[in-house]
Amino acid sequence: MSDLARQQSEFQRGILAGEDTVLAEILDSPQEQRETLFGVYRHAYGARLVEAMRSEHQLLHAYLGDAAFDEIARAYIASHPSQHANLRWFSTALPDFLRSTEPYSDYPAIGELAALEKALNDAFDAQDCELLGLAGMAGFAPERWNDLRFRPHPSAVRLDLSTNASAIWLALKSGETPPEAGALGEPCRLLIWRQDVTPMFRELTCQEAMMWDEAAGGMPFGVLCSMLATYDDPDGAATRGAGYLHGWITAGLLAGVLGGD
Amino acid sequence: MNVSTKIRDPRSSLAPHAQPDGDARPAFLGFGLGLRTQHYDEILGGNPPIDWFEVISENYMVPGGQPLAVLDRIRERYPVVMHGVSLSIASTAPPDFEYLRQLRDLARRVEPKWISDHLCWTGVHGKNLHDLLPIPFTKEALEHVVGRVQLVQDFLGRPIVLENVSTYVQFCNSEMTEWEFLSELSRRSGCWLLFDVNNVYVSAFNHGYDPLAFLQGIPRDRVVQFHMAGHSHMGTHIIDTHDHPVCEDVWDLYAAALCRFGHVSTMIERDDNIPPLDELIVEVERTREIAAKVLPPPGRPGG
Repeated sequence: MSDLARQQSEFQRGILAGEDTVLAEILDSPQEQRETLFGVYRHAYGARLVEAMRSEHQLLHAYLGDAAFDEIARAYIASHPSQHANLRWFSTALPDFLRSTEPYSDYPAIGELAALEKALNDAFDAQDCELLGLAGMAGFAPERWNDLRFRPHPSAVRLDLSTNASAIWLALKSGETPPEAGALGEPCRLLIWRQDVTPMFRELTCQEAMMWDEAAGGMPFGVLCSMLATYDDPDGAATRGAGYLHGWITAGLLAGVLGGD
Repeated sequence: MNVSTKIRDPRSSLAPHAQPDGDARPAFLGFGLGLRTQHYDEILGGNPPIDWFEVISENYMVPGGQPLAVLDRIRERYPVVMHGVSLSIASTAPPDFEYLRQLRDLARRVEPKWISDHLCWTGVHGKNLHDLLPIPFTKEALEHVVGRVQLVQDFLGRPIVLENVSTYVQFCNSEMTEWEFLSELSRRSGCWLLFDVNNVYVSAFNHGYDPLAFLQGIPRDRVVQFHMAGHSHMGTHIIDTHDHPVCEDVWDLYAAALCRFGHVSTMIERDDNIPPLDELIVEVERTREIAAKVLPPPGRPGG
């Protein structure tokens, strides 16, 4: 190992692990001890990452307050040293961390609020693409519709919540007092995407969520309608399917359509 | 020169990179500002008297959405320079080719006047500390950084611009001054230099040397950009926080830098505690006024 590589390893351990070996390699300044000067780097490391996490999770921060949020952030930083060149992706594993780490896992609404914020952040700068418009569907003869397959917009993701995290998000976003966190009897099925430049989410019914999930997985329209028919009112399944499809197209949720021949 | 008052031809920004001579000194852009999200609407909705913008490369190294859409609109109207924080040019870790590929892809889209980053490292062993960490000014480090700069320049297909960082510690084993290191690095690798006036002031205070010695030690013909920024004075040391207006001492050093380096593209860099655009335009105007006072107009002999 070169001398420079050894020095950089020691410097990094001095910041991440608090080791003092590196202090033997640096000088006091005319006005200050080296411990204090090296402390600038030690302090900046945690402070910068906490600040980045506050920025990525502004509503979770607002929900928890400085002290609780920063405690979580520092626990996350300790267990997830950044491996990303871009600070944008540093807190990407925060929802999983909150779901799987005690004591935070005892408060599932926190992890789900983080997951919703992450999904919206990811939608914000997800890949751009052409949108499927209603005109793009007009060219398909009715007999070809059963074979049509749909390509979701790259920003679109689904999230099933077991708590009222989306109600908490909405209240925080509006500057209102959030409701008390609690479990839901039925999961809240969310679809998150970007419309033009604005991240959005909305709640889906059980049927629409099923149809979206299957459509995103490549299931053709005819099969989607057959699946809808197993829920209720088999005769109205095609109409319901066409209605959901119309809503997705007008909301900018679809990037393209394939098949039909 | 206030080029922002002219109607810009978007194609004009393509010209420098269409030149076969990639080693040509980048043109003087005038007096600019670091682009920040808080000012997007005001910039796009008006015509602020700002000659050019510097963007943080990593903020736009994302798949798509509003950041890139806004940047596309900005670059149609203003010259843009890309300034990164994660190149980690002095790291002894293996080069991050995925990062370089993303940087190159962004540069193909933005067609910046130049691409800059810092003479520093940000991490080793697969970790990133997201800080601009100092290096010892040794012959070994110089060899290493020269090699890395050449590799990056080959990958990007253009010379890069490297900035002196604010430092809080000095290494016992340094064998030369920072300005000697930068000068030799620029001479041997062909990279240009971004002279951060505030960082020189900060490091000079922290390490007890004369900032004018740093200034005099940098070759006149290698500096293509100045950064102007504020800092936080802690009494025994200064921290480069970029969250305050430029202080009077740094304005004085800027005037001295102009005298040494002549017309150099200059920008105000505010990263935190971002004020309204008007407040920053006042600082941009001051960079312009001081240059007008200290120097003959650009383009004249000796300018």
